[in-house]
Amino acid sequence: MEKPRLGFFKYSCCAGCEFQFMYFQKHIIESITSFDIVYARMLKRGGNPHGPFDIALVEGTITESWQVDELKKIREQSKQLFAIGSCAIDGGIPAIKSTMPELEAEKKVYKDLSTIHSIRPHSVDAYIKVDGYIRGCPPGERDLHEALASVLTGKKPAFLQYSVCVECKLKGNICVLVAYNMPCMGPVTNAGCGALCPSMNRACYSCFGPMKQANGPALARKFRLMGLSREDIIRKFTEFGADTIEFRRVIETYED
Amino acid sequence: MCGLCGELAKAPFRRSKKLVPKETFFLWLDSLRKKYKLIGPVKVGSQTVFKKLNSSKELFMEYESTMFSPGKLFIYKPKEDLLRFSINDEIAIDEIPPISEKQVIIGVHPCDTNAILYLDKIFLGAYKDPYYDVRRKNTIIISLNCTKVSLNCFCSSVGAGPFLKAEAGYDMLLTDFEDKYLIEIKSRRAEELFNIKGKRVGASELRLKSEKEKSLLSSFKKTINVEGLDELFMKNIEHPVWQYTAEERCLSCSNCVMVCPTCFCYDIVDETSMDLKTVRRFRHLDACQDIRFAEVYGGNFRQRRAARLRQFVSHKLNQTSQYGVLGTVGCGRCITWCPTGIDLTEIAKEIQKS
Repeated sequence: MEKPRLGFFKYSCCAGCEFQFMYFQKHIIESITSFDIVYARMLKRGGNPHGPFDIALVEGTITESWQVDELKKIREQSKQLFAIGSCAIDGGIPAIKSTMPELEAEKKVYKDLSTIHSIRPHSVDAYIKVDGYIRGCPPGERDLHEALASVLTGKKPAFLQYSVCVECKLKGNICVLVAYNMPCMGPVTNAGCGALCPSMNRACYSCFGPMKQANGPALARKFRLMGLSREDIIRKFTEFGADTIEFRRVIETYED
Repeated sequence: MCGLCGELAKAPFRRSKKLVPKETFFLWLDSLRKKYKLIGPVKVGSQTVFKKLNSSKELFMEYESTMFSPGKLFIYKPKEDLLRFSINDEIAIDEIPPISEKQVIIGVHPCDTNAILYLDKIFLGAYKDPYYDVRRKNTIIISLNCTKVSLNCFCSSVGAGPFLKAEAGYDMLLTDFEDKYLIEIKSRRAEELFNIKGKRVGASELRLKSEKEKSLLSSFKKTINVEGLDELFMKNIEHPVWQYTAEERCLSCSNCVMVCPTCFCYDIVDETSMDLKTVRRFRHLDACQDIRFAEVYGGNFRQRRAARLRQFVSHKLNQTSQYGVLGTVGCGRCITWCPTGIDLTEIAKEIQKS
């Protein structure tokens, strides 16, 4: 049987997702050997970015207009396309700037704006339809495994769609939010990390982004009762999910 | 009556009552360690957790409540491997037999004991769950009547505490008598196992026991009138309390379900290895607050958060038709561990008001 053709595309991000993919092969070698890696810039030189692909993985936020054009072409050339990592899925770190006008953000960073062509940052699914989300920063191995194995077996991937609290409770952790009064983002954050931070007695900071229909405003009210300032609350909800409906509602409520 | 209770009840035994010094009791408990895994409440920081004991000295019997009930940690496991199968020329199934380590759980409060009896109805009822069954049979339950009432306890309103009324389905019942325990034998195997001679219990001790119970009953802060809730909930399916609680406070985080000692739903997951040769099938606790819980081909029965919240609360308070008893044992965990403190007794009161 011919190996499925895989393309890995990177937009505005740290390339950590692609490194995670490379690292993944260290203990599951089939994740690389079962695929024909047609294009993955961090993995190998050259390659063919035009497709066609059986599976395309797209990391990074869309922050320039040429990325939109390229992304649309990739979509048309791919049987299945997954957004991978918080940047591609929720806007991630690059979308922090979406809380201010684009030009103001540019001026804060660059002296000479003549070569800057940035647009307001958006997740990949703002521009194209995706077949699934491999969440996390870096992506969780469970969902990465699920996506790759599903392509190989030809089944619909079952990604985790519940809060970090569920994973946390399955591990038997004491709740850091209720018991220790830590401002934990677990209740509104999508699972996939195995409740890594709460297992280490740390509050979750939502690096996996909001779960679907997460009730951001209700948790923000709880944080407010716990004594968090408006600024702290905004920071918590903009760090990884500034481009999501779930967290935007909080940002808009607590903005001056 | 569940299958197991029936089996336990069949063997005749003397329902003896003894007063035994705590020291003697704990020495006896330690002597069980050769044959049994001992499990009990242990203080961990500001919390109490049911865990494996190396010695009875680790026990913290004065605890108020724990985040997880012992029944849903050590009898019905949160996560459990069921089978593996390998795919070569043929499919070969490698079943994982239920683990049958003998264990003693000590210090189980009345609410949690009743919760185990509730789980029995599900897993040992019409269909016997082999994993639950074998572990239940190999577990000796030593219950402990409460000495304190927590802020969120409402067991007295649902007949599940603070003193245990059930007569079967567990092995021993302890009541705190300062430096002694009043020990009641509730099963044949407990009678055989507990070979300690104690002081005989007379009328004065029993009177003291019921006085202790009375004084506890008067210290409950939370109460709920469950009479007629069945009908009332059905009539108020679209009551505004569901919508505004869901909007203002419910996070859909499922903490309520995960800490609930009677929530029994599980999901079965297949995990395929990347070489596509082996599949691991396991189950883990599922939660009706998750958006995909009621998702089926073509739609979702509970797309709205309010519908999911209503599902949990009404499963606890109104669906007595399912197993003949209320789904709640009044432990108050779902209130304590809800990040926004949603209180099902308050919701019921809102509906009763209208």
